[in-house]
Amino acid sequence: MTDATSRENAEGLAAGYALDALSDQEQAEYERALAEFPELRVEADGFAGTSARLAEQIEPVSPPPELKNRLMAMLDETPQVPAQPTGRHLAPVAELPATDASAAESAEPPPVGPRESEARRRWFQRPGGIIGVAAAAVLLVAGVLVGAGFAGPNGWSAQRVLASITDAPDAQTTTTEVSGGGTVTLTWSAEKGRSAVTAKGLSTLASDKTYELWYIDASGATSAGLFSDGSSWRVLDGNLPSGAKVGITVEPAGGSKQPTTDPIAVITT
Amino acid sequence: MPVEEDLDQAPVAALTADDLLQRVASGDRGAFSDLYDATSSRLFGLIRRLIVDPAQSEEVMQDVYLEIWQTSTRFDQAKGSALSWMFTLAHRRAVDRIRSAQASRDRDMRIGVRDLGVPVDTVAEEAEVRIEHEKVHEAMSKLSDLQRECVSLAYYSGLTHTEIAAKLSVPLGTVKTRLRDGMIRLRDVLGVTT
Repeated sequence: MTDATSRENAEGLAAGYALDALSDQEQAEYERALAEFPELRVEADGFAGTSARLAEQIEPVSPPPELKNRLMAMLDETPQVPAQPTGRHLAPVAELPATDASAAESAEPPPVGPRESEARRRWFQRPGGIIGVAAAAVLLVAGVLVGAGFAGPNGWSAQRVLASITDAPDAQTTTTEVSGGGTVTLTWSAEKGRSAVTAKGLSTLASDKTYELWYIDASGATSAGLFSDGSSWRVLDGNLPSGAKVGITVEPAGGSKQPTTDPIAVITT
Repeated sequence: MPVEEDLDQAPVAALTADDLLQRVASGDRGAFSDLYDATSSRLFGLIRRLIVDPAQSEEVMQDVYLEIWQTSTRFDQAKGSALSWMFTLAHRRAVDRIRSAQASRDRDMRIGVRDLGVPVDTVAEEAEVRIEHEKVHEAMSKLSDLQRECVSLAYYSGLTHTEIAAKLSVPLGTVKTRLRDGMIRLRDVLGVTT
């Protein structure tokens, strides 16, 4: 292969390389070209920075809280790799000279796939380069992300249940108009017996009122929880009786044992 | 959900992910905890998007954060933001996972029930994050439909060149061209410089 054709081939692989879309063979080919033609590095860096930006438009999803507990417990037995003494220009992790053989061995990161280890190498050894993710660094304010807490109707625990409902193989969803404006979407899994509502644009209630959810079947209405924000979601308390309807009424703050007003929405499951 | 109330409780001098990662590099477990709280839903969103299966996503998530802990010592802020680096690690690990046959099978089974139109277990995005989100969304809208489809299948679905070509019934060369043109467009619109 001539220099011209291998460069041309490399250009065809540059975007895929940044997007992790190459086969192992293509990846090796591109990396050989990068080593051979350092001028390709500028484009590779630009594409890498662009690729990372694409993650920004994905909706955040809260991981289950026990994952963090597990992780925190693992830190003690997970030594950090020593910082490179030479500072900014970092060598590939894999080639770092071990100062203390046993420590270095235990400090190595867990086994990784070829692509991932390559990513690390790529990032750390970029020669004096700048990844060039544009100036506006994303500010993430600790503790502000809603759902940071475990408890509460929108806490991690509830989000976990919500995910288990929407991930259920038999998950179903129905949206209904609410009299007085707005919509309510019910998502449920009959198999799991759990359900959740998402309210959108319901009227704002006076502070002495609340929305109350009900399971309604032949035996009558059973309270399934309260919510006050007209645009919010919550998992319904208790189990969804087979074939029951889900209703919403406006009740005095604190809720009622039985509905005291006509439902503003009724959803058939 | 009462977002405003939560905002009121934000720490006055909030630390960026970059600040936190720097502290993590010195073995600060508290900073690691804060960094996790500030970024985990973003990384988990990405990993879940690619892997779909919740249990496997959690495994990858754990590996990614352990690696962040271990190698934060060698992260160099001059080379990009902490979050970009973390996204890059997460994407790579997730793609490695879905290229395994078992994962692909699980994923195919679940992918059908994923998008139910409900804001699943998403969390509200803090203002700065939302702005970035919109910028990327807008940049994506500047691509041709064919370019956007190819870039999305690669980044958001984790497909290879060859898989994309097969899925769209177009020659591999066409996929390469669309990906390349799409990425050039995105890079320029987003103002990514090197």
